Amino acid sequence: MTMTRRSFLKTTLETSAMMSCMPMVPDWLVRSSLAQDPSGNNDRVLVLVQLTGGNDGLNTVVPYEDPVYANSRPTLRLPVSDLHKISDQLAFHPRMAAFSRLYKDGHLSILQGVGCPDSSEDHAVALRHWHQADTEDRQTGWLGRLADHARLNHQTGVPVALVSAIKRPFILTAQQAIIPRIDTPDKMTLVRPTDTGPKRDAQTNGFLSLVQETSAQSRIMSDRIHQAAQIQAGDAYPSFALAQNLQTIAKLIRADVGVRVFFTELGGDGFGGFDNHANQIGNHCALLHQLSESVGAFVADLKTQGLLDRVLVMTFSEFGRTVNENGRRGTGHGAAAPVFLAGGKLKGGLIGQHPSLTDLQKNSLKHHTDFRQVYATALDTWLGIDSQAVLGQQFDTVDCLNV
Amino acid sequence: MDTQQTLDPNWAWAPYRPSTEHPWTLARAGHLYRRAAFGANWTQLQQALVHGPRKTIDGLLTPPADLAAFNRTYDDYDRSVGSSESADELRAWWLRRMLLTPCPLLEKMTLFWHSHFAVSNGVVKSAAFMRQYLQLIRSQALGSFHTLVQDMVHDPALLIGMDAIENRKSRPNESLARTLIEDFTLGTGAATDQDIRQAARAFTGNFVRRGRFLFIEREHDDGDKQLFGQTGPFTDKDVISILLEQPATAEHIVHKVYAWLLNEASPPSDSLMAPLTRSFARDYNMSRLVETMLRSNLFFSEACYRQRIKCPVEYALGMVQGLEGMVSTTQLATDLAALGQNLFHPPTLRGWPGKEAWINQATLIQRANLAHALLQGSGPYQGKLDARAILEKYAHTANQPDAQFFADLFLQQAMTPASGESIEQSLYDIVTSPEFNLA
Repeated sequence: MTMTRRSFLKTTLETSAMMSCMPMVPDWLVRSSLAQDPSGNNDRVLVLVQLTGGNDGLNTVVPYEDPVYANSRPTLRLPVSDLHKISDQLAFHPRMAAFSRLYKDGHLSILQGVGCPDSSEDHAVALRHWHQADTEDRQTGWLGRLADHARLNHQTGVPVALVSAIKRPFILTAQQAIIPRIDTPDKMTLVRPTDTGPKRDAQTNGFLSLVQETSAQSRIMSDRIHQAAQIQAGDAYPSFALAQNLQTIAKLIRADVGVRVFFTELGGDGFGGFDNHANQIGNHCALLHQLSESVGAFVADLKTQGLLDRVLVMTFSEFGRTVNENGRRGTGHGAAAPVFLAGGKLKGGLIGQHPSLTDLQKNSLKHHTDFRQVYATALDTWLGIDSQAVLGQQFDTVDCLNV
Repeated sequence: MDTQQTLDPNWAWAPYRPSTEHPWTLARAGHLYRRAAFGANWTQLQQALVHGPRKTIDGLLTPPADLAAFNRTYDDYDRSVGSSESADELRAWWLRRMLLTPCPLLEKMTLFWHSHFAVSNGVVKSAAFMRQYLQLIRSQALGSFHTLVQDMVHDPALLIGMDAIENRKSRPNESLARTLIEDFTLGTGAATDQDIRQAARAFTGNFVRRGRFLFIEREHDDGDKQLFGQTGPFTDKDVISILLEQPATAEHIVHKVYAWLLNEASPPSDSLMAPLTRSFARDYNMSRLVETMLRSNLFFSEACYRQRIKCPVEYALGMVQGLEGMVSTTQLATDLAALGQNLFHPPTLRGWPGKEAWINQATLIQRANLAHALLQGSGPYQGKLDARAILEKYAHTANQPDAQFFADLFLQQAMTPASGESIEQSLYDIVTSPEFNLA
């Protein structure tokens, strides 16, 4: 790689002494590996998919044998014959054929009964809790803190990236780190290559050598992303925004540029598409179809590329919905709901009991697994990043990963 | 830097006078304009060389043009954004003001205080409140820090941003008091929880109602409070005065201004800062502090040269100033947000951390792409910056090779371009160099 077409001459304030400066082979650059480990101890990747608006877990993983389900949902109950059976009690929504396939292949797990203590019925508050990983006010989101944690270790890589066109979510708010939006690979590709010249002496100016080294690494990052973006996926992705974002994520994983966590979402800005207070059926069908097909295509692509064992997908929503429908063919803001995990290193199956449909809080399901246990599992068990440093507390992990 | 530990404060803060040993050079003029402004164009650099440091700094502190009239005009522009929830238009107007103001130093310090009193429209959600907030900051950015603190704690945007619009006697807002003490005045670790609780009581009765500050007497706790060894029925004004009597406050602010204007690479020694801190503590006069710093031997010494990392605003405006153009600041504000500096939206109450935090592999790709977009003849910035026109305007008078002209304009250092390289390529390499990322 030729890096130097020119050389800047060292200058001081007093003189601009002319001296000849031969372009040098930047072996220091070769040594500084790009795919440096930002803070964890492995090369695994987490993909968070936010289902914005409060997903109706009961019509996603359906307890079709429970008479309370059918009785509570005179218009919203799903016809049993259309469901994709998981067990003799539970089944996937009719539009989730891809999830059903993934489940049978062991590439999908369902964490049941996940929720937040002090579950709020207010979208903004509930989402804030999930983003903060705390029900007390915090100034940063947990992915922001994860990125800050990497910064504290003097790493100039990009541990977290936003891959979506939505308004920047609070989960990425950091004290120190700047988390980029990479909704298309070209956003993180140099339009024109940079040339940072011969190595600056760190003894003379630490900032100068920091910027130069990072700039050199950024050039490698750009090259790798550019190359990965050129490769056509063997497996076709649907045209849904989520699928396109997941395709971008697959390219970024393949580029191997050190991003450990990707954040993307389904449901959009505002209250979010999953917030169905009226005439829920059609809209919910469409969203679950998008989720299922998009994640299905993503998993298939990663599998083809031999990357699936490095990837864990995790969905979450700010709350589930009420057990009873509301008289407008919709549902109200609820509490506990299932979290989906997808990837190549899952124990598989159903994890935890389905919450009772009769022992309720405000007409909603009670959680038995704190959402931060799921975060802690992703951090400690999967990413190898100290969860306490990010979450501020220790939470028991959930036994769901084959690592 | 070790040398600073042993610097003689008397020498350090004495005004710099050019000498054969420390001549007044293009590099020093460029340094001054990077720190006290948002970069310079060629005319300004040449004038600075002719005028010398003293007169150049006079002009930066007290611009000959009518600053008050300029700011009145721009205050009107700001007002035109009305009562929208988004502050995006305000961002654009502010960047334009930074570029066109006769006193860029005032905007530079306004930006400094915006990060110090870090209020985000992400919480406030009102362009009107953010406009008033910034106007308040600007009015004292080079004025009295004492007045500024007093005004800020009554500012609706700040109180909304800190979730402190109802300071009831029964529930004093400790987070406001904590931020006032730990971020705005004394600094972290200088006060106990007891101090914070006592201070919070003095702020009871302060409300924001219908967008205005309102003092509600019956909600004010007029009992005795104990703070830093003093006891009395203190009001918020009294508490601020007591906080400003503490040596830690002057130290905190002087250190922070030092990092902003002189050197953020290494903290200065206490003995070096002592004369400035003593002087600042007398009356909290910002303009004297800034003037002492800018005129000083230390400011113009190697110890401070390129010892700051440009924030995204400085990085982008430096190019625009040098090429004497005007670009869409609406687009620019969006691009700067992607680089981590979303004006009117500092990330947390601690403001922008600055320094190395600006630099990661992603931001450097984005800085380079922004530079490319600004310099190229088409695209989002519509080719408003014309490097060749600047070259024609000056290069024959400067009598340098083209690439060296831009190296002198932007870096003030010698450069050997690769043979046959286009001027566009040279310029791109200059503004994406590690040196140009430093201030």
